[in-house]
Amino acid sequence: MNSLIKLELARALRNRKFLFFSVLYPSILFLIIAGKADGTTEVGGSGLTLPTYMMVSMASFGALTAVLMGNSERIAKERESGWVRQLRLTPLPGRGYVLAKTASAAVVSLPSIVVVFAVAAAVKHVRLDAWQWLALTGAIWAGSLVFAALGVAIGYLATGDAVRPITMIVYFGLSMLGGLWMPATSFPRWLQDIAEWLPTHAYAALGQAIEQSQAPHGRDIALLVVFFALFAGGAAWLYRKDTLKA
Amino acid sequence: MGDMTTTAETAATATVVGFDQVTKAYGDVRAVDGLTLALHPGETVALLGPNGAGKSTTLDLLLGLKHADSGTVSVFGTSPREAIVAGRVGAMLQSGGLMEEVTVAELVRLACDLHPRRYKAADVMARAGISQIADRKVNKLSGGQAQRVRFALATAGDSDLIVLDEPTTGMDVSARQAFWATMREQADQGRTVLFATHYLEEADAIADRVLVLHRGRLLADGTAAEIKAKAGARRISFDLEGVIDETALNGLPFLTAVDVSGQTVRIQSSDADATVHALYGLGVYPRNLEVAGLGLEQAFVAITEAEEAKQS
Repeated sequence: MNSLIKLELARALRNRKFLFFSVLYPSILFLIIAGKADGTTEVGGSGLTLPTYMMVSMASFGALTAVLMGNSERIAKERESGWVRQLRLTPLPGRGYVLAKTASAAVVSLPSIVVVFAVAAAVKHVRLDAWQWLALTGAIWAGSLVFAALGVAIGYLATGDAVRPITMIVYFGLSMLGGLWMPATSFPRWLQDIAEWLPTHAYAALGQAIEQSQAPHGRDIALLVVFFALFAGGAAWLYRKDTLKA
Repeated sequence: MGDMTTTAETAATATVVGFDQVTKAYGDVRAVDGLTLALHPGETVALLGPNGAGKSTTLDLLLGLKHADSGTVSVFGTSPREAIVAGRVGAMLQSGGLMEEVTVAELVRLACDLHPRRYKAADVMARAGISQIADRKVNKLSGGQAQRVRFALATAGDSDLIVLDEPTTGMDVSARQAFWATMREQADQGRTVLFATHYLEEADAIADRVLVLHRGRLLADGTAAEIKAKAGARRISFDLEGVIDETALNGLPFLTAVDVSGQTVRIQSSDADATVHALYGLGVYPRNLEVAGLGLEQAFVAITEAEEAKQS
């Protein structure tokens, strides 16, 4: 199982085009959105400045992009090529495959988080305590694993031409409704009620709590753990029962 | 001593692969239809049939990639998955994709690492004849090279059963011969080898047992020689002068087919000696007499045609 993880990691790092795109894209988005705001603009109700708020949002969004986009399409392609069938003729358990895919996605998402932080600190003068930087990096990185597993599951549910649109819908839907682009507090009440249960909402809340010098809420962590188990378990199950022919 | 003999005998008669009344349908089409068969240790078995005969489905069921609608499939007395997890099965799928963006050596190393009874990657590559392309990217291989890499993945460890689904697809004649030489080494080590093919000469040349599959059912099971005999093993052709008495020709013993065109007569016989002897007994004088063995291909066509005639 370890050798598959190692090989998947090497592959992810060799894909320079994807690496470049997924690492720089969230930073650029951050600069565009936080562009005109200065350090005194506050985001309603959070007590945070806009650049700080957007930094965490975009780091989360960037990590989400890297893991979701990378995994789903790639896996769908690997299923169609028949590689997954070949892999199923080895003793590799389903969780090994899901783990390897999740790990390789995590390698790409870490730099995308760090780069957003660096850009925010350098260009928008975002200042936080050392523990906050570290906690934010850790929380956002760990949280991205939930969506890496979701990417694997989508790669198993969809085939061919359907993968990209489905990934896009899930990706934008989760990002917007979860409040990664704008605070969920600006949504109508009913939408907020739904959004509260989304993994992206819990994901964003994790970072915001740390920014506000608080410990993340137990509910958010629990929600993310449940979603991770759901996505990873579903992906492993789909891997085992997949009967798609090359 | 006595105990050892008993153990050896038990091993020799044990079933490597057992299909018991296995059926698998896709919609209305029964890809595998009540298939019952048993493979024994050390056999090299060809699964022969035209496209759509159910070969790939049979292998998928054997490997646990598909599940039977009814009946049971066992491999070494366990489920296919358990046999794979125990490292007893190595398999090469038809047009099975390979992981992209990695080198041949990396991929073979992965397969070796995943195998519970692994061999050294260098040895596996040497045996599969891919050492010289070890550093090449997997997505830059020719069809024949990719097949050899797949073969390496199937032989990455000490498996007792090797399953190959149309392994020589995309290979030219010399590559094919080299491939079968490699595969014979696997069989000579006492492994059971099962391969699907529609290259009939391969079944004839390599297998010591041939299973003919047609519409998901087992049409014939025997040595290549037996299969040929079953279908009418020899073709006899000759010319006759004057009016040909077809009724008399049809009365010849051991006939399986008669074809008269102009003055030329072509006969298929399951016992050519007896047929020719009786032919002279008719008082005719056949010219340009030729007796030739039927290739397995013709034997195969004859068997399937007979089966189709029976059904319609």
